[in-house]
Amino acid sequence: MADLNADTTALTASVGSIKAGLESHRYICSDQIATAVFLAFHLRKPILIEGPPGVGKTELAKTAATLFDLPLIRLQCYEGLDEAKAIYEWKYGKQLLYTQVLKETLDEVLEGAKGFRESVQRLHEFGDIFFSEEFLEPRPLLKALKSETGCILLLDEIDKSDHEFESLLLEMLSDFQVSIPEIGTIKAVREPPLVFLTSNNTREISDALKRRCLHLYIPFPDAELEQRIIHARVPEIPPELERQLVQFIQSLRDMDLKKVPAISETIDWARTLVLLHAESLDPKMVRETLNVILKFQEDIEAVGSELTSLLHKLKG
Amino acid sequence: MDRTLTQFIRALRNADIRISTAETLDALSVVELVGYEDRGALKRALALALPKTADEKVAFDHCFEQFFTFDDVRGARQPEPSPSAEGDESDEQDGEGAGGNSAGAGGERDSQGGPADKGGKKKKQKNKAPIEGLDDAVEEDLGPGPMSTPASALGELLMQNSRVELTMAMAAAGEAVDLQEIQVFTQKGLYTRRIMDGMGLAELNREISDLRESRQVPDRRLGQELKQRREWLREQVRDYVERQFLLHADATGHRLREELLRRVKLSNIEQRNFRLIQEVVFKMAKKLASLHSRRKKVFKRGALNVPRTLRHNMAYDGAIFDLHWKSIKIDRPKVFAICDVSGSVANYARFMLMFLYSLEEVMPKVRSFAFSSDLAEVTDLFERNKIEDAIAKTLRDYAGGSTDYGQALQDFRKQCLDDIDNRTTIIILGDARNNFGDPRTDIMKELYDRCKRLIWLNPESRSGWFTGDSEMRKYIAYSHQAEECNSLVHLERIVGNLLRTVQ
Repeated sequence: MADLNADTTALTASVGSIKAGLESHRYICSDQIATAVFLAFHLRKPILIEGPPGVGKTELAKTAATLFDLPLIRLQCYEGLDEAKAIYEWKYGKQLLYTQVLKETLDEVLEGAKGFRESVQRLHEFGDIFFSEEFLEPRPLLKALKSETGCILLLDEIDKSDHEFESLLLEMLSDFQVSIPEIGTIKAVREPPLVFLTSNNTREISDALKRRCLHLYIPFPDAELEQRIIHARVPEIPPELERQLVQFIQSLRDMDLKKVPAISETIDWARTLVLLHAESLDPKMVRETLNVILKFQEDIEAVGSELTSLLHKLKG
Repeated sequence: MDRTLTQFIRALRNADIRISTAETLDALSVVELVGYEDRGALKRALALALPKTADEKVAFDHCFEQFFTFDDVRGARQPEPSPSAEGDESDEQDGEGAGGNSAGAGGERDSQGGPADKGGKKKKQKNKAPIEGLDDAVEEDLGPGPMSTPASALGELLMQNSRVELTMAMAAAGEAVDLQEIQVFTQKGLYTRRIMDGMGLAELNREISDLRESRQVPDRRLGQELKQRREWLREQVRDYVERQFLLHADATGHRLREELLRRVKLSNIEQRNFRLIQEVVFKMAKKLASLHSRRKKVFKRGALNVPRTLRHNMAYDGAIFDLHWKSIKIDRPKVFAICDVSGSVANYARFMLMFLYSLEEVMPKVRSFAFSSDLAEVTDLFERNKIEDAIAKTLRDYAGGSTDYGQALQDFRKQCLDDIDNRTTIIILGDARNNFGDPRTDIMKELYDRCKRLIWLNPESRSGWFTGDSEMRKYIAYSHQAEECNSLVHLERIVGNLLRTVQ
């Protein structure tokens, strides 16, 4: 890391400076999150981020990219994702085309060759060209390794991919290299990328993968932190509304709902209420905008029936 | 190797957090980066490197709080009141010694900070009112004055006022008596005694009694002093043992109990252990599930994988010749479980069903049947209810009546013979005690011929199979496999084999 510029060095000097840096990019976080970024940066280890949807897992990777001023390479995982889409693919069209062209010029190549042995020798000379980097189409993982400046690699929703893909990642995550049978091992060009993996925990990630990562669990924020987040993201919100809104959301999280509102929903709701020029939470407006924070009809009904008592608590 | 850290990791492992060697190394580099200075930062940093699930994080928090109970690790510690009544002049050196050393090596020493302080404070109170003779009414008041030097090693150590050396001696003695192996709380007194003995208590006792009978005032004064300090030491050792017990034994005891439960006969398990055993079952099931969930086979159906096909056909001059398909099929076993739920076998059925349904991830197609005389399908019950409730309902509804295997087999044949094909595994759990009724081996043969495997699990031990009204001899001929199955270990092995062969 000798060639880091002064900015980055100052930025990563301590957990506090990283936290401040993230906050300057409007990502308000706990010490735990800042520590994770700090460790990941210095130990060059991937971070596996888990937590309920909408608490800012993907956002953390994005903000880190702007913070360190590095390009973000993102790979959205899904069932059936394989090496051809994640690491590399041969440009088979080009390969085919070149074979056709070559067929016609074969005579020229072999001209003057004495005997079978020499002909084969000549063919060998350019035989490997078809499986060289010229014909290689890099996919996100390979791109991240070949990045000149270093980069942030985001593997989003890793839990959606198959077990096979996880195993495929192991080499990449521990040694920052991938093996391509025809070419050999490709290592990170300069800086190994800073890797963020996110998971919604729809299935258990294998131990082998977990072992290679730092594990960060982002829970729902407490009231104070959430209030600061709202303040950073929706600065134009009136302070009284901000307080009530966060209190209201926090009390919803204690209820037995199918899907409790996350930070992203809180932010959306704050924006909605600002748009509607609300000064404080009044029952009618809340009822009309409940669908911003709750995504299931039965949740909306459950909250709707208790709305009066919930709002009453806020006043007190 | 950093001893504090390795001991902490040992404690974590005891609390059921899985930590590999690689992760230990990670933790070391984390500590190198963060240092021991800031407790909060250390905790946050280690919480990233060691525990890897939400559950483990909770356990980690708990362990960390218990293990690192010192208020501040390095330097910043205030000079503490020394345990002595008169040793104020040595305070400063003492505090420094403890502070400087504690960060370096011994975890035990660090964790001693808390209780040591407590001990110190108590003594300080005594210091304020020495004449009241708090601890011993008959103690004669000898007043301040010169004391003779103690002769025994432990006495010397006590009079030196060096807590560091004392705790070190305590740790060494603890190690010598294998304190880490402490398992149940009744052993606490025993270990305290052993450690005191290891530190040379006998010698000290002798010295104290000698000194107290001495004619010389300085000797008697020393005797008094040593006696006080001996009490203080005992308290320290007790605290130390207590702490080690909490760290090591609590979890070990739990594990011991689990290990025991795995081996004990299922019918002997008491009601109060059901919850624990359920945990064990889930753990075992999870292990099996993760072992077997990955078997997939490439299936020649579905969409053509164009890139792969073209790439593989490069060798054939671009002529499409060797086709590659996209779809991968997961082959899952079809399992029919038939459980005898009459009184004698009901308990086994309970655990077998629990096990099978805990494996839902890898065996989604379990159909289960319960019978004592008449047979009924209970699959629905399990789909709609939680496992425990479903089991309770099954036992309530079907457990009455005397066992009739013939009738049950006949019912089973009527209900689902058509569904049985060469991918089906049938598991029958029962003791085959048919009350001398018709065993209907003809149906058994039919099932045997149709299915892939027929496994008979008998909770009775093998020697009892061919006695009395047991029809095992007849049924065994029509089973691919017949096993004795009366503990969780058996059950795990059988289901493991089942998954291996079926997939």
